[in-house]
Amino acid sequence: MTTTARQVEEVLAALADPMRRRLLDLLARHGEATATVLADALPVTRQAIVKHLAVLSRAGLVAGTREGREMRYRVRPEPLTATAAWMSRVASQWDARLDAIKRIAES
Amino acid sequence: MTDDRIERETTINAPIERVWAVLTEPDLLSQWFSTGKRAEVDLRPGGIIRLNHGENFDYPTRIVRVEPPTHLSYRWASAFPGTDATEDNSTLVEFTLEAVADGTLLRVVESGFAAIDVPADMEYRAGYESHTHGWPEVLDAMRKVAAG
Repeated sequence: MTTTARQVEEVLAALADPMRRRLLDLLARHGEATATVLADALPVTRQAIVKHLAVLSRAGLVAGTREGREMRYRVRPEPLTATAAWMSRVASQWDARLDAIKRIAES
Repeated sequence: MTDDRIERETTINAPIERVWAVLTEPDLLSQWFSTGKRAEVDLRPGGIIRLNHGENFDYPTRIVRVEPPTHLSYRWASAFPGTDATEDNSTLVEFTLEAVADGTLLRVVESGFAAIDVPADMEYRAGYESHTHGWPEVLDAMRKVAAG
């Protein structure tokens, strides 16, 4: 999987909201859940949950399948892994740069 | 779970002025961060630090804050070589220096990844080098969610 800028950007933007992070945690614990079930467990309306799920879905972090009149959602871990790997690469570049700064300053 | 920022720090066995020089003096800066061509530095808020990472990787970073010898920050459009850094295309890189018993504590924070507005057909060039170290807190948190 190629991690494009857009994917990283969308994942980080989706995760920037604390309620969406709670939602994702909750969904991960449930395995699968509908917006109604999620709204019962969180202090926001079902309508707000649906909006947050749409943002998470655009970022590829959740996927929904229709079941009767409601959608059942589950977590898709791939974009998280890809984003974590990308952020981790950026972080290790700083590790390498700080090592170089240290070497130069101490010489 | 995640934050839109990377924080790293190291303790350097050298005086704070020496570390400041490594961050801001063209000859020293070129030894670690502008390894292509010698860096050009216009050290004032709004000034440009021109970094070159070799080949066509030319980065005119825009200085935000300069407070010798404790604080330096600039915007860096690491995904868009050759482009002037603006709020929409760059991350904020902040260096904080603190004199400690062993020398100098140097901290770097790079933030604002989520705010970058990237054309759909463009691949990030930032992160093109690969290393094996991790970003433990975020990775752990993400793994926890990923594992359900």
